[in-house]
Amino acid sequence: MKKILLILVMFSLLAVSALPGQTPEQKTDESGMPYVYTKWEHFSKKDGLPNEHIFALEADGPYLWIGTENGLARLDKRTREIESWNEEDGLPWRVVSALDLDPETGELWVGMFGGGLARFSGGRFDHFHQLNSGLVNDVVYGVAMEGRDVWIATTAGASRYNTVSGEWAIYTEKNAPMEEIWNYGVSTGDGKVFLGIWGSGVLEYDVATDRWKDYIDPDGEMEIDLYRDDGVVHVITTGTSYVEGILWVSSYFGGCRYDGRHWRGFFEHDSGLASDFINAVKGRSSDEAWYCTDQGVGVITDFATNTWVKYTRNGDSPTGTALIMRDDKILKTIDLEQSLPHNYALWAEIDGDDVWVGTSKGLARAVGEGYYKGLKISDSGK
Amino acid sequence: MLKKWISLQLLFLGMFIGSVTGQNAPEPVYVGAKACAECHSGKKFGYQHSKWLLSRHASSYAVLAKPGSKTILELSGITQEPQKAAMCLGCHATGAEAEDWELDPDFRIEDGVQCEKCHGPGSEYMPMEVMTDPEAAMKAGLKMPEISECMVCHVEKGSHVAVHNLPALDLSEAWVRIAHPTPDPDKVESSPSAPQPVSAHQDLDTVKIPEESSNKYIGSQACGECHSGPDMSYQHSIWRMSKHALAYANLSTTAAYETATKKGITVSPQDSPECLKCHATGFGAHEGRTIDSFSIDEGVGCESCHGPGSEYAYEAIMTDATASKAAGLVKGGPELCMNCHTDTETKKFEFAEAWDMIKHPTNPPKRLQSEVIRYKTPLNLAVTPDGSEVWVACESSDSVIVIDALKKKKISEISVKGQPHDVAFSPDAELVYVTNRLDDSVSVIDRQSRKLLKTVPVGDEPHALMTDPSGENLFVLNTSGDSISILDTKTLEEVRRLQASRSPWSVSLSPDGSTMLVTNTYSRFIEYRTPSMSEITVIDVERKVVTNRIVVPATNLLQGIDWHPSGEFAFITLLRTKNLVPMTRLMQGWTITNGLGIIWKNGDVDQVLLDEPDKAFPDPADVEFAADGKYAMVTSSTSSRVAVIDVEKLLDIVKSSPERKRKHVLPNHMGLPTEFIVAHIETGDSPRGLVASPDGKTVYTADALDDTVTVIDVDTLKPVSTIDLGGPKEITQIRYGEKLFHNSDITFHRQFSCHSCHPDGHVDGLTYDIEPDGVGVSPVDNRTLRGILDTAPFKWEGTNPSLQRQCGPRLSVFFTRIQPFTPEQLTALDRYIASIPRPPNRYRPLGAELTEAQRNGKKVFERTMSNDGKVIPKNGRCITCHPGPLFTSRDVHDVGTKMIYDREGEFDVPHLNNIYDSAPYLHNGIAPTLEEIWTTYNPNDEHGVTNDMTKDQLNDLIEYLKTL
Repeated sequence: MKKILLILVMFSLLAVSALPGQTPEQKTDESGMPYVYTKWEHFSKKDGLPNEHIFALEADGPYLWIGTENGLARLDKRTREIESWNEEDGLPWRVVSALDLDPETGELWVGMFGGGLARFSGGRFDHFHQLNSGLVNDVVYGVAMEGRDVWIATTAGASRYNTVSGEWAIYTEKNAPMEEIWNYGVSTGDGKVFLGIWGSGVLEYDVATDRWKDYIDPDGEMEIDLYRDDGVVHVITTGTSYVEGILWVSSYFGGCRYDGRHWRGFFEHDSGLASDFINAVKGRSSDEAWYCTDQGVGVITDFATNTWVKYTRNGDSPTGTALIMRDDKILKTIDLEQSLPHNYALWAEIDGDDVWVGTSKGLARAVGEGYYKGLKISDSGK
Repeated sequence: MLKKWISLQLLFLGMFIGSVTGQNAPEPVYVGAKACAECHSGKKFGYQHSKWLLSRHASSYAVLAKPGSKTILELSGITQEPQKAAMCLGCHATGAEAEDWELDPDFRIEDGVQCEKCHGPGSEYMPMEVMTDPEAAMKAGLKMPEISECMVCHVEKGSHVAVHNLPALDLSEAWVRIAHPTPDPDKVESSPSAPQPVSAHQDLDTVKIPEESSNKYIGSQACGECHSGPDMSYQHSIWRMSKHALAYANLSTTAAYETATKKGITVSPQDSPECLKCHATGFGAHEGRTIDSFSIDEGVGCESCHGPGSEYAYEAIMTDATASKAAGLVKGGPELCMNCHTDTETKKFEFAEAWDMIKHPTNPPKRLQSEVIRYKTPLNLAVTPDGSEVWVACESSDSVIVIDALKKKKISEISVKGQPHDVAFSPDAELVYVTNRLDDSVSVIDRQSRKLLKTVPVGDEPHALMTDPSGENLFVLNTSGDSISILDTKTLEEVRRLQASRSPWSVSLSPDGSTMLVTNTYSRFIEYRTPSMSEITVIDVERKVVTNRIVVPATNLLQGIDWHPSGEFAFITLLRTKNLVPMTRLMQGWTITNGLGIIWKNGDVDQVLLDEPDKAFPDPADVEFAADGKYAMVTSSTSSRVAVIDVEKLLDIVKSSPERKRKHVLPNHMGLPTEFIVAHIETGDSPRGLVASPDGKTVYTADALDDTVTVIDVDTLKPVSTIDLGGPKEITQIRYGEKLFHNSDITFHRQFSCHSCHPDGHVDGLTYDIEPDGVGVSPVDNRTLRGILDTAPFKWEGTNPSLQRQCGPRLSVFFTRIQPFTPEQLTALDRYIASIPRPPNRYRPLGAELTEAQRNGKKVFERTMSNDGKVIPKNGRCITCHPGPLFTSRDVHDVGTKMIYDREGEFDVPHLNNIYDSAPYLHNGIAPTLEEIWTTYNPNDEHGVTNDMTKDQLNDLIEYLKTL
């Protein structure tokens, strides 16, 4: 009995020490305020978008590639002109669900929901699908370049295509610790590949060693986070984003951050997350990440202080709100003349100081005039 | 036996702990005939091992040492040593395709076609308890082949017939000859195990071993580890082919029994010391004077004459005459022979004659005459910026030749790597870069010193190359890899690889240095039975990215390219092949017309023909502007001419034509060339590349099949000189065939050549409607000529049993529409075609282990059970119709691919070597990728049982197929 009590006490202490706001490094409100995007531009079919369901975005110098439910588009940021491609123009499949640029060749890799994969290069689409190539499945959710390999997250496992040798590899439950094979998202960095898998948490693949690591919610499949910061918040993972050695993870039950040693979970009730139902996450740095949810966009702007900005649209009105939050407290409310085109946000793309957000009703550009990282103490000291 | 079995099990245990497959089932490995012999010897087993030793199978590896084998390879375009060539070993050895781990350490490839060639790798079925249970043995991999399976190797091969002229194999008779049934144990007296050198001294005059010597017999195989191959004059193989090697086995024959009986020997000769003293090595030595590698089965081995080798068989000792003698090496000689070879009642032993038969001196290998004749075959050239030197890439001599432009004379020749194709200078002309097509590399030469500095790897089959204006980056076109490597010229490392279209060929830099244009020889993959769509790949030089891909419709074989000095446009050479209609249609220039493309700066394209109604301009290969852009010079590689185009006149015609005419009329108009071609200039045979001097007043052509460079004066438009590159003057039969292959005289109106559809002996990537049986009836994919000699029958329907038939009168009827070749021409042409080499496999370099995926794919290729555990019928297994080494059964099969317009349903089984390199696939070229053969065109498992396969299994299978 004594032993049981001791264990319970230990767990209680661990749980208490893990609560936000009580870590030694926590800072006070005087530590400053985050940058808030107050200027938003919208792009819709009227502007030339082939469709307003925006699934993927990829910045490319003066251009922005846009994956929509009905075609691929390219916005020239200098002129605001939008060029688009559909099946008549050679796009192999109309639903563009994922995009990534090959930084070496400038080629655009296009994942298509039900249509496989395409390489867009010099105006030519090369189509790879499950019948004419080694691609494991045509329902593609994510695409990411790693060196000279393209990684493709599909509904039936992950595929890897070597752009030089043409070799295909497949990763499923047979050769990876993949309890489910529904791959929702993929990101890469530092020689690693991170797969976000519906029902299987996050898988990390080390290219050099050909080894896998799996990150599963220690709480099992429960829709609550029983023990705080004990691992990935849920096995139903929707996306990953790796930047500056930090892995940002989104799930349908909250988000989290992993620094290689410690996990930290984020939930609507104790952060600026607009909702725990997160469609995607895009990390900007080790401190900042944009979480696209079904209720708006939550941006953690300073990890150390758990400071967030939550962007939402006010119903059908073009106006919106930006809430500056720290933990579960609202530090400031800012009214926006224009915010997101729709609260159902599907993708975010960092583009210098600007950020692009794809929603279910068009594209938004958060104009980052005067953007700064982290927190800043204003002239008035607030 | 037990000991060996235990060691094998331990080996497997270790192997499977880290098994790459993750499966628990043990993987069979080849154990070698020697292991089989541990049981299958002696009277009890009907002397099975001896029977095999006496068969040609046992010496099938050794015979590859004969000069005839080398000749066969030469005929087949294979440049490797016969005892190293996979194509030979596939039938002349066992386990030739196996990886190292699939071979027991005691396995010896030198044993040729061994038990396991027919019965499968034996490690799992060789234990006594398995072998004596037929069902268990079969489950463990024992195969009992059918007589028809012999034909995988014994099918007639043109190359072998040409050299050996042996009669066709009488399979039934051969089957009887190699039969080796196990006798009924009840009728066989028990036989002792194989004898070993006995302990008791025999009073024999064999090699005298000093009593105090501790030398042990190591066996001839151990000697063969060094004394083999061309550098050692194939000594081991010579022994293996001699009667000495069969001396022990011969004791199993009826004749041996009869002789023994006459001598009063009542036991089996193989058990008789009297017989063994001359029929086995070391017989009579002290007990324990052998090591494990020794085997009495080797008969009279090296050590019979040279003494037991354990002390001298080290390289350091063997190469020191005094030391080796001291260590027991005996020189051998007549006195030793006479110990056994005495006169008989009927025959006198002729020592000199016998000595001649077994002599095996260590001499450097003799070169065959045909190896000495190496032509130059200049393909492309470059002129130094100051115009003083012309550098020529010579494909056949693996060299670049330097010409003094002023003296018009060859001044240097520098060896590079295999099949150099093109040459380019650094901007300061201090360095010279050369692509080596066969070696997938680029050589870097210091121009002043003519020294080869370095050779670096690039992609597959590199062709053209050039630096950017700064000289910091070298762009190399990987023709077979469909890509462009960009090398940092400081480090010579590849920094980027761009995707071209299919088979990028030539490159040209815009005068402002901003843009490179790349021609692509093959059309893009297009929808089935639609016109070709070839591509010019546009590269932003500074950003090193592809910015545009210009489509040149209805064309193929885009090869030469040059920017006009104005920078407004570039010219390209092209073919307009009408492959979708029967080859009988003569409208607008018959099957293939030859032309020129204008690629405008903005990406627009115009096309004109270079053919005139009565004078075609076949196989335009390269184009170069001269005289400040006034003229464009184009080579016709198969009519040995250069066409001189008045650029201004041509542009006037094009620009003054309305859009519709430019699009639909000019590309097919044979009446126009007379208006803009101002001269045709004769050159040497088969001009390929050409280049203008910096002042534009001189043009040089690389005359591939004359080993010359023609010098053209641009002012007079006349050839002024022919520079001899120093190639052999003798025209061999193969060279004559090569000339015929690259000559349009063989076709009606001299419109095309063999080379037009088979550029450099390969494919043009098109599907043709050949016969006049209606538009679109029986279309067939063009097939490569690389390495095809022994792949008969030819033609997709498999109706042509030989190249002679394929290229004979039939060619005249269906293709060339002119007088057929004379018999002399036909023979030469066929010899040349057969000699076209197959490049080294890109996916499995010689000797490389298989990757995990490839290894898994091999299992799928060889599988006998489907995923649901059902036995796959033999005709549903990949390996049944595609057995190595050619991976074709060389017959026809219906694999369910007959389409509505196909005449027949049965098609020739294609060989699979370098299959990755000959897309599209299936008889009608309907499958652009290997995957589609099975995902789309095998719905009923008629092309092998494949529909049960998972996607990863199919991927693995394809990865393996690419290695063949």
